[in-house]
Amino acid sequence: MSVLTPRARSVESKHTQVAIYSMGGEISSEQAVRGAIQMHSKRVWRFGLALSGASDVADDLLQSTCLRALERHHQVTSHDRLDSWLMTICRSIWLNEVRARSVRKAQALSVTPEADLIAPGNDSETNIFATEVFTKVMQLPEAQRETVVLVFVEGYSYREAAALLEVPIGTIMSRLSNARQKLKTVMQHEAADAVRRSGK
Amino acid sequence: MKFSDETLMAYLEGKLDEAEAAAIESAVEADPALEQRLMALDPFAPVVQAVFERVPVETPQVDLPQPVVPVVRAGGGLRLLAVAASVAIIAASATFWATRPEPLGWVQQAAIYQSLYVPETIASLDSSSQALDEQFAQAEAQLGRSLNREELETLPGMELKRAQVLSFKGKPLVQVVFADAEGRPFAFCVIRQGEGAPNKDVQQAVLSGLATANWAQDGYGYMLIGSNDQTDLSGQLDFLTERFAG
Repeated sequence: MSVLTPRARSVESKHTQVAIYSMGGEISSEQAVRGAIQMHSKRVWRFGLALSGASDVADDLLQSTCLRALERHHQVTSHDRLDSWLMTICRSIWLNEVRARSVRKAQALSVTPEADLIAPGNDSETNIFATEVFTKVMQLPEAQRETVVLVFVEGYSYREAAALLEVPIGTIMSRLSNARQKLKTVMQHEAADAVRRSGK
Repeated sequence: MKFSDETLMAYLEGKLDEAEAAAIESAVEADPALEQRLMALDPFAPVVQAVFERVPVETPQVDLPQPVVPVVRAGGGLRLLAVAASVAIIAASATFWATRPEPLGWVQQAAIYQSLYVPETIASLDSSSQALDEQFAQAEAQLGRSLNREELETLPGMELKRAQVLSFKGKPLVQVVFADAEGRPFAFCVIRQGEGAPNKDVQQAVLSGLATANWAQDGYGYMLIGSNDQTDLSGQLDFLTERFAG
């Protein structure tokens, strides 16, 4: 039996992968990761926006997350829940590589939420309300904002969000309670509007 | 400890004191079913979700390196092979897409929620005429249509207990709960699906251990949920399809 150099071994493993594709049955972990990236790119971008508060940073975070995920596709053992795996990668890139730099920049510019992400150049009643909700959510502190987006927007359960953010469930629930307090004013608005409209 | 929907709603609205809120939070840690109930009742989630679903407007582009493709030497036959291989890749990804778990629909979610109801859940509800007036006014405002309360009060074998506004993916969902002759919970749900939603004939199925029937007509979805998997829905179904079929 011949001893392969590391390089030769990696070539061999690539060929094995191709063989797997061509048989059309099982899909490789790389295919699964590419599929997951395609399927979840909007969600990862939104999470990047929730973490950083800025759409250009969200663009960068999504791109780095996807490249990192693809590099690590061999770590994937199950094709379930690749969405939370992508979210975890996104958050670790944010915390370890991007946050310090972006937060410095944000403080310098004192950024306001980019409300035009919601309603570019349109001021119908619904859009005004949507912009208010969006702005309120984006003004929450980072920890509340990431939790609100994972649970309210992406539909993760409290315990899934707790695992993803590495905090106890109780912390998730109290962050959500605090966020609800701050979102209350704009929600009451909406309830009032709905009642008024239906009374017409 | 058991918590009523009213208590959970008060928690979500920040109206409970610290000790009561802490009791719910620690109960949720050990009880995924309670967690699901609480999440389903949260009035903030559907609103925030509807807003953020619009962001970003376009699917963001990601630049990825090309996948590894088989090395093809010259020659027509081998090129064909390459085409066959790429077709196989597409087929494999299509399989992946097709076999990913389907997200639960409103019918499944409503059945899960209803399966947590026991006779005690509805025994203590305030079903005074005044309470029902308020509940129906709110429910009808959310749905944008009448619920024919006078008719519902005559639903064969059932006593009207409560109408409650819920929400599924931002769509208003109203659950009307009844008690049968033995005091067991029975529900009639209506969801506003919006104009253009397809009509559906009546389908019966056992979901989350409960006999159910659902249909859709003119932008609204309807569902009946019995108290167990053996409940005979036919009497109520005839009554309701006649009154809620357009």
